[in-house]
Amino acid sequence: MSRIARMPRALALAGIATIFLAGCSSTASTATPTQTPTATPTPTTAVASMSAPAGPSATPGATPTANPAANCGSYSGPATTINYATFGDATELTNQQKIVDAFQSMEPKIKVKLTVSDWDTYWDKLQASLAGGNAPDVFVMDGPLFPDYQTRDQLLDLTPLIARDGFDTGALADLGVKDFTAADGHIYGLPRDLSTIALYYNKTMFDAAGLAYPDGTWTWDKLVEAAKKLTISGGATQWGFYTETTDMENYWSSLVWQAGGDIVGPDKKTLLIDSDKAAAGIQFLQDLIYKDKVMAQPTPGGSGDLFENGQAAMEANGSWLVPTHVAAGIKFGVAPLPAGPAGRATSVNPSGVVAYKGSKSADAAWEFVKCYTGPQMQTIVANLKASMPANKQILANVYAKSFEGGATFADALTYAHLKPSFRGYNEFTTALQDELDSKVFNNNSLTAKAALDEVAPKLRQLLGQ
Amino acid sequence: MASSSGLTLPGSPAGPEATPAPPVGRTPVAGPVRPRRGPRAGEERWALLFLAPTLIGLAVLSVGPILATLGISLTSWDMLTVPKFVGLDNYTNLLGDDRFLTALRNTFFYTFVSVPLGLGLALALAMTLNQRIRGISWIRTMYFLPLVTSSTAIAIVWLWMYSPTGLINHALAIVGISPLRWVADPTLAMPSIIAMSTWQGLPANVIIFLAGLQGIPTEYYDAVSVDGAGRWARFRFVTVPLLTPSIFFTGILALIGAFQVFDQVYVMANPGKPGSPTITLVYFIYESGFRNFHMGVASAAAWILFLIVAVFTLIYFRTQNRWVHYQ
Repeated sequence: MSRIARMPRALALAGIATIFLAGCSSTASTATPTQTPTATPTPTTAVASMSAPAGPSATPGATPTANPAANCGSYSGPATTINYATFGDATELTNQQKIVDAFQSMEPKIKVKLTVSDWDTYWDKLQASLAGGNAPDVFVMDGPLFPDYQTRDQLLDLTPLIARDGFDTGALADLGVKDFTAADGHIYGLPRDLSTIALYYNKTMFDAAGLAYPDGTWTWDKLVEAAKKLTISGGATQWGFYTETTDMENYWSSLVWQAGGDIVGPDKKTLLIDSDKAAAGIQFLQDLIYKDKVMAQPTPGGSGDLFENGQAAMEANGSWLVPTHVAAGIKFGVAPLPAGPAGRATSVNPSGVVAYKGSKSADAAWEFVKCYTGPQMQTIVANLKASMPANKQILANVYAKSFEGGATFADALTYAHLKPSFRGYNEFTTALQDELDSKVFNNNSLTAKAALDEVAPKLRQLLGQ
Repeated sequence: MASSSGLTLPGSPAGPEATPAPPVGRTPVAGPVRPRRGPRAGEERWALLFLAPTLIGLAVLSVGPILATLGISLTSWDMLTVPKFVGLDNYTNLLGDDRFLTALRNTFFYTFVSVPLGLGLALALAMTLNQRIRGISWIRTMYFLPLVTSSTAIAIVWLWMYSPTGLINHALAIVGISPLRWVADPTLAMPSIIAMSTWQGLPANVIIFLAGLQGIPTEYYDAVSVDGAGRWARFRFVTVPLLTPSIFFTGILALIGAFQVFDQVYVMANPGKPGSPTITLVYFIYESGFRNFHMGVASAAAWILFLIVAVFTLIYFRTQNRWVHYQ
């Protein structure tokens, strides 16, 4: 009868709950629209075309590298099997299988055993297997959590392998590489994909209201003005705006940066979120709910994505929603997030592939990491559209052109800030988010500044650890 | 115990005083049977043998880890690097940790509201289900459905009922009450969760009460009726006293279960990350250990929870003589 004993089962079932988790970039639906884009320069049968060990020329936009070892297919070690673990849902399992299949056709000597777990189970299993010394050879790392594992000496230093093969990390999004570079300058992982935040808008609703679509010139004031016009009968019929408030990535970290504030300093020891500027960013979001009344009061887990349900005209959220928004049949466009007092800003959160330090097939593990970030497999990532490819060329030449809005998400990288990443991130963000949820967003019992002042001592203590 | 299996076991009650039958698959022991090691001793050996898989499992998978947490609770350990001995620091730090104290407070609130409420409703329901009305067995079956449904599935359905546009608010709207924010409102969140888990926990208690009710001999009721007792007197002086063993039993299970509440909170409040209005001790333990890399803190919190449960169980057992009547 012990509830503790039932925990693992409950957690597995709670995988459903992870659908609501912000920051988990795999909320794609089964109807992944690989065939929808018309502008895609790659054949939609990208996966099939990979079955022959394709050279880089098979993919448009890929520049052949001078050093052959830098390319996928250069593995010369013994035949081996590696384990690869990632988080995600059933759709992500299908997506990841495509990626693994492509890899195996390029590297026939390496078999990959894929494990996909829901977000919570993934981290539980990862920690247990690391503690037990039998972690997967390659696993996926969330940007903010990277230091927790790197500083505990669990990840393979890729720097020597990068040098040995002459692999060009400059081909990958700079912020993505930076996120998996440790304080000592060594690289412990490579970004497999990225997510940025932009403004989705429902064209049908804008047309009905006779309003011009949002564009790069929009500011906070313009957003409020349009959202007010798009809110019909106090939200009972239609809301002007929707976003998720339960994680900084969905919107509020971007607002903090747009207001000229930050969450923590570059040293990751100084707390900056309690500054007046940072508070102004969060205050803007509270005002959208309680003052301007253009957004429904947040309901944890209850209401679903109001934009996707056709109940809200705009949504600030991540690129990972593209497949489900398409599947929902909404006629939508994508614009940059409206600029704040300090200009434009958005959030980027790369997820990386890292190799286990204790791996018995380190070379094969590195080969998988290398191939994943290479043009062939990145093209598959681009076509799945569940996230943005980390490879610059594929991002610009395939993803950005594959659907309307793709370019907006890709261009956002130029003014994006990395989601904060430091040892102890989870505990820090839990304390901060808990305060904001209970006092600023789900209720307006405190102003943003008052709430941040209240929680600041606790946050400072956590950063000082 | 093993006698019903039909196997002839040495010293099985089938022939306790007779000469023990030859052990199955074994050559009979030569020489005189030692008088002290009578049939009972043989039976114990067999019992141990049959229990061994469970006992070994329990020792390796439960007792070992439980003792290990005691050691871990005295260290600073993240599972991945070498533990550092910190003495009682984890315990003293916890007592000054706001999040832990919030979890403690929420857990007490949950326990002391949900247990009496759950038992009271279960008793009332058992009395109702004990009537002889048409289709009662069908109604009883229906009623036990929540017991076999996973708590996560239940939580998701309730989440939907609690949503601003959900079933409950629709019902309230009919009588003119404006929609309430059942799980998002910090003051309503815990009561909403209690309502759900009370509903979910009812059937288990109802089964036990129903069995208890049906075990009360009708003669007692007849006797007090002859003495002129009304419905209330029959309930107060026959039903309740004779049901106290059942109440005692369900009470202890409910109490321990309530202190360990996890699933409902985990799924309901804020999927995956309950906030301060609903965080409970077991969630705190999980979060500290598996999210924040503080296995030592998690172990210390687990031992504090153990001590709390032990103290309350002890107190509860001490009161037994005063109110529990065994027939």
